[in-house]
Amino acid sequence: MSNVYLQDFQRGLIREIPIFRLLLGMCPVLAVTTYLTNGIGMGLAATAVLICSNLVISALRNYFPAQVRIPCFIVVIATFVTMVDMMMEAFVPALYERLGIFIPLIVVNCIILGRAEAFAGKRPVLRSLVDGLGNGLGFIVALIVLALVRETIGAGTILGPDPETAIRLFGDNYQPMLIFALPPGAFIALGLLLGMVNYIYKRLNIK
Amino acid sequence: MREIIRLALTLFMIGLTSAALLTGVNNWTGPIIEERRKSDYLETIASYFPDVESFETKAEENGDSFDLIYDSAGNLLGVMGTILQGGYGGVITYNLAVDTEGIILGLRIISHSETPGIGDVITRESFLAQFIGKSHEDPLQPGEDVDLVSGATESTGSIIGSVRRSVGHIATSYLDFQAEIFDITVVPDGTFQGVAAGGQGDIVVEVVVEGGRLVEIKVLEQKETPTMFVLSYPIIPERMIAEQKLEVDVSTGATASAEGIVNAVRNALEKAIEEGEGEQR
Amino acid sequence: MENLLPIIFIYILVDNFVLQQFLGICPFIGVSRKMETATGMGMAVVFVMAMATVATWSLYTYVLVPFNLQYLEIVAFILVIAALVQLVETFLRKISPTLYQGLGIYLPLITTNCAVLAVALLAVRQEFTLLESTVFAVAAAVGFSLALLIMAGIRERLELAAVPKMLQGSAITLITAGILSLAFMGFKGMMTL
Repeated sequence: MSNVYLQDFQRGLIREIPIFRLLLGMCPVLAVTTYLTNGIGMGLAATAVLICSNLVISALRNYFPAQVRIPCFIVVIATFVTMVDMMMEAFVPALYERLGIFIPLIVVNCIILGRAEAFAGKRPVLRSLVDGLGNGLGFIVALIVLALVRETIGAGTILGPDPETAIRLFGDNYQPMLIFALPPGAFIALGLLLGMVNYIYKRLNIK
Repeated sequence: MREIIRLALTLFMIGLTSAALLTGVNNWTGPIIEERRKSDYLETIASYFPDVESFETKAEENGDSFDLIYDSAGNLLGVMGTILQGGYGGVITYNLAVDTEGIILGLRIISHSETPGIGDVITRESFLAQFIGKSHEDPLQPGEDVDLVSGATESTGSIIGSVRRSVGHIATSYLDFQAEIFDITVVPDGTFQGVAAGGQGDIVVEVVVEGGRLVEIKVLEQKETPTMFVLSYPIIPERMIAEQKLEVDVSTGATASAEGIVNAVRNALEKAIEEGEGEQR
Repeated sequence: MENLLPIIFIYILVDNFVLQQFLGICPFIGVSRKMETATGMGMAVVFVMAMATVATWSLYTYVLVPFNLQYLEIVAFILVIAALVQLVETFLRKISPTLYQGLGIYLPLITTNCAVLAVALLAVRQEFTLLESTVFAVAAAVGFSLALLIMAGIRERLELAAVPKMLQGSAITLITAGILSLAFMGFKGMMTL
């Protein structure tokens, strides 16, 4: 029995980790990973939406008419995104400003609608919750990895840009390799990471 | 038919629930957001004017706004402007605090979209601190009075120019300093050349004066970006001739070029007066 | 009015949606394999983006703002976009079967193209007028299509290149996108609004 949950959990986190394996939901991953704090904030926001929408959709799955289920899913997701958007503006304003338009755009993150359509719309509540957790964690992991690479190389810090939390890794004489903080660096870093993940998965024989 | 009604009704119900929920959350977070904005703003004002009691906001047409800051006795403490300025990557918004003597107390970048790691030096303390203590009478020339940061000349230059104009604007519009008006009538007749720095190098102009009036202004040499230069030439010379003064509105979208032209004309006329006096002696 | 030309220039080249602002990456990676599909997708996006922005702008200005319901913008916009895509699809099938054959399969994909929602949101946040919003939407969509077409052209050639095995497919596409983005950075600073 617990085996089913474990499988649901690790599917999103390892086997089908959306960013690296399915190439879904990449816009925010590329856009906000200039700093680790931004990446974690984005990851948590998206995960909160994913878990909530998975829960509600699977709880109400029998009430959504099949023909209009997609619009129903979208409304549910958009409702949670708006809530997250408002709460972030109220309680973490600095982060909210930095993430900007990418918070409302969680609505169209393919991972969330994808999980609703492929999983939560057909399965019981508890399994959908575990699935949401797994996929959300997978998303956060991807954001953290890319943000770590980009921030350490592109800014020479961790947990910036707020000078109170930022840790300068290489001292003051480090000249950051700016390209990694700029859009081209995001594409190139993710491309190389993707290659690495491909290689590791192949070596470990994970399909 | 019945099916369609059922579908529409379900969707409608879901939408209604969603709207109701969001209204609830909005009623909860809305006041918090509003409160925080207000207190943040007051805090910014208080960091420059610790005795602030009340303020009065004057919004201007171009989007800038200026707050007149008063203490509890109703005395004017100074002015804080919230100013929009085009930078390299987009609009830069910043606060500029000026006391009643027309001296800069400080400035703070609120938002910008300059290139991270390059243009965002404008947010650094070391760059912004250079302005503190400068007054509306200081020339504030980039590279001389305030450092341009190499590699980010566009971003830093636009801030320097904007601060210079804004301090002048605050001083003349809100602090009752008289703008110094250049007296054209004392200029002897003749054709004069003048030079001043534009956005991308020197601008050389030729000015014709007859009977104490500006008659013609021609730009002889310039290295400005062509798309930018057309925004201020020939509009600025036309304005100067029409209004018969040098202190014309230079907000054209290419302010650096426009100011360059005005300064070059001023330079030409100043030289003309000096030479004229020399001849008389 | 004087904003229109800068908007066109900025959103096609300077602030290209895909290569500088990371909007619409999923379809950019997904349908850039062949020139033909890229063209179809590009045209569908121009079409939908322009219509969606007009619809959402009007909704925002004439319904949400007067009733003080701005906080519902996300829900309202995404519903309008989804409904519009559905409508366009049904309409095209009835009116012009040839056009439908060309664009039809791309239409459902557009609902989850974050560039469409982004245009709608940015248009109201930047306080554009209706005309400016429409021009903005078309320019953004043309910029998107431009990036898509360039990428499709490169990828058709890339098929023949000896790419290291682990980088094949999406990885090399992303790295190529990085180099393209670097090229587009050359436009940065030429113009701002």
